[in-house]
Amino acid sequence: MSEQVVVTGIGSVSGLGATAEQLWQRALRGERGVRDLDLFSTDTHRTRLAVPVDDASLPERFAHLARADRFGCTATAAATANAGLPAEALRSARAGVFFGSSTGALFEGERFLKELLAEREGDLHSIVGLQNDGPGTAVAKEFAVRGPVMTFSTACTSANVALGAALDALRSGEIDVAIAGGSDELCEITYAGFNSLRAIDANPTRPFRADRAGLSMGEGSGVLLLETRSHAEARGATILAELCGAARSCDAQHVSAPDPEGIGAATAIEEALREGGLTAADVTFVNAHGTGTPHNDVSESHAMRRVFGDRTQSLPITSTKSMVGHLLGAAGGIEAVLTVQSIVHRMLPPTAGDTPADPELGLDVVVDAPRELPEHNVGLSTNLAFGGNNAVVLLRSVS
Amino acid sequence: MSNVVVTGFGCLGAYGLGQDALRSALAAGSPLRSDVDRSASYHRRGSSETVASCGELSFEPWLSEDAGRRMSDLSQFAVTSARMALHDAGLEEIPKERTAVAIATAFGPGGFTERLALQVLQKGGKFASPFLFTDCVANAAAGQIAIAIGARGANTTICQREAGPLLAIAQAAQDLELGRADVCLAGAIDELKPLSHAILDRFRAVARPRDGEELPRPFDARRNGYLAGEGGAVLVLEREDHARARGATVLARVRASARGFDPTAPRTGLGRGHEDLAALLRDRIGPELLAETDTVVSAGSGSVHGDALEARILQRALPHAPRVLTPKAVTGEFGGGTLAPAILALQGADFAAPVGCNQPDPALEVRLESGPVRAQRLLCSAHGAGGVSAWILFEQP
Repeated sequence: MSEQVVVTGIGSVSGLGATAEQLWQRALRGERGVRDLDLFSTDTHRTRLAVPVDDASLPERFAHLARADRFGCTATAAATANAGLPAEALRSARAGVFFGSSTGALFEGERFLKELLAEREGDLHSIVGLQNDGPGTAVAKEFAVRGPVMTFSTACTSANVALGAALDALRSGEIDVAIAGGSDELCEITYAGFNSLRAIDANPTRPFRADRAGLSMGEGSGVLLLETRSHAEARGATILAELCGAARSCDAQHVSAPDPEGIGAATAIEEALREGGLTAADVTFVNAHGTGTPHNDVSESHAMRRVFGDRTQSLPITSTKSMVGHLLGAAGGIEAVLTVQSIVHRMLPPTAGDTPADPELGLDVVVDAPRELPEHNVGLSTNLAFGGNNAVVLLRSVS
Repeated sequence: MSNVVVTGFGCLGAYGLGQDALRSALAAGSPLRSDVDRSASYHRRGSSETVASCGELSFEPWLSEDAGRRMSDLSQFAVTSARMALHDAGLEEIPKERTAVAIATAFGPGGFTERLALQVLQKGGKFASPFLFTDCVANAAAGQIAIAIGARGANTTICQREAGPLLAIAQAAQDLELGRADVCLAGAIDELKPLSHAILDRFRAVARPRDGEELPRPFDARRNGYLAGEGGAVLVLEREDHARARGATVLARVRASARGFDPTAPRTGLGRGHEDLAALLRDRIGPELLAETDTVVSAGSGSVHGDALEARILQRALPHAPRVLTPKAVTGEFGGGTLAPAILALQGADFAAPVGCNQPDPALEVRLESGPVRAQRLLCSAHGAGGVSAWILFEQP
């Protein structure tokens, strides 16, 4: 039996604030971070809303980095502090970084390219994190880890894939401590790209609502500080939750659309349950991918029915993307943070929105107010992505 | 001991399509250079002039022109390499639910991303092409492999610069060992466009003209950067019981792996953490296995700091000085430049001395050898700009 892997710290940066506590308090109230985007001009874009991070709210410590790198390092510093982990514990071959990102420093890359097109030299330093490994490598360097460092770029499942890889590395005994999550930043290319697919709602996103019309893009970072249980207990750490399962699958059908029947997503959920030694009956709530696009929410509801059967109608499900937006490669990271908080506080934040949940989906969508959860919880966090990618993680209460 | 084996591989690059083309290129030893396209004016005066480009390579019969037109270059490289690999492994039918994909890419689909960027930045957001956008995410290539062959297992894309390819092999081996899949296609795919090349040049990563010639010179006193390349290398990995049960020819065993990070590395280069990395390599793979390693398919590429780091790690972790091969001097950096040569080095391939490497750096002391190689136990190494290192130990089955 491999060792348990536990969460001892969380950190986040998002449009709902620069700390996980701000994120949690605002999410409980169902607050939306969506606003007019001022990071770049939206004059030539189809929409104008997003959920950007307020850079002024971030600590100065990592201001020298590209935005996505800065988000990742800020969230990591918070997670480490939350865990009470001394910095020396990370400066070891027994510590690793597992990160997801789908843009790297693409916003800074766009600025650099604009300069090149104008036949001027851009700021070369600004694009040292241009490649997708930027945030993960920045975290590894700033915190001086010496163990495995891996960046996964599987679009919107990236951070969940990273969490699963961290779980494997900890269970295998390769490392004792892992920084795991993801970071992404808004940029014109992805904003225009999702708009070209008509995937962005011109109004604030309304996942699982009958009148849903697309997503709101977000940015930021979500990070879990993971340890083997023996390592955490040996140093007297407070254990927030256990990361007990993770799995991946592929629809192998379409490069951007999810399988309408949700078969691949269901396979990933069932595999994660199996690896975690759990059954569908053990799951007490779902933090869904829930992008708010008409197709995603239908696909995901089918996946839920495949796994949970009739229980789907009474299994609380929420989409925190309704508040923080879609963080792309970091989505799994911030949703894992919120899932841990839900377990710790035994409350599930609502899916923001003013219209009724879509009855056709057959889901027990948490709306209007947070839902109280039982004493012991198993939370499922799902992400689906371009490339037919599905990745899920399971977190549970620790007695 | 790992029970994961290699049963086939497909590859393409500036050398052309397939194992025979690569074998011939390695036997010749000449860097596969062509002139970099400077028409977009991204390059500065005095910058690097050559790349190892696939040019107008035809992917028939693995990928039709019609199908290829709907994909980025990266996806075309990926699907072609994957189909070649499955054919080489004798796997015309795969267990679809039990087949995983793990692909590394350093830059993703740079060509599509640049075209999309120009649409958005020069014309406006409303001009973005949905066709370009959906195939410009980094994992599009791995997704296209899955669609092409129907692989519904875990589909993973790793972006860790030059270290990515070996991390992908390690990821695949782990998924197989843990019983998550029966077959895994794993490797590296890269496309290199003029914009990426011009940025690499600004970071002084690529070789520039010296003494009238621009050459990648691994471990040479005159080295001043690598030859940037593109292409693909995909291995078919299986657990040995699965491979033997279907009567497959086993080419190699994935015996062990190691990975670590050097925080002394600058974000775009390599550091001085050879002591720690060598200790990690010894610890993870074991001194006994390393002592019995007869060949290193090296990360050596002509990189000023990268080759120094590699040499110092090898000196400490493998003090018996096994033979060192430098296939990147021929194929270029990126595109799985060491993976396919590593498998060939277990099969008796001929590795010529790289052209232009006749003044060994006396500070580095690696035993460069040429001629036919049939390694018994082979260490493949990689060091990514930014600080990530990875190693895979292959051996005869």
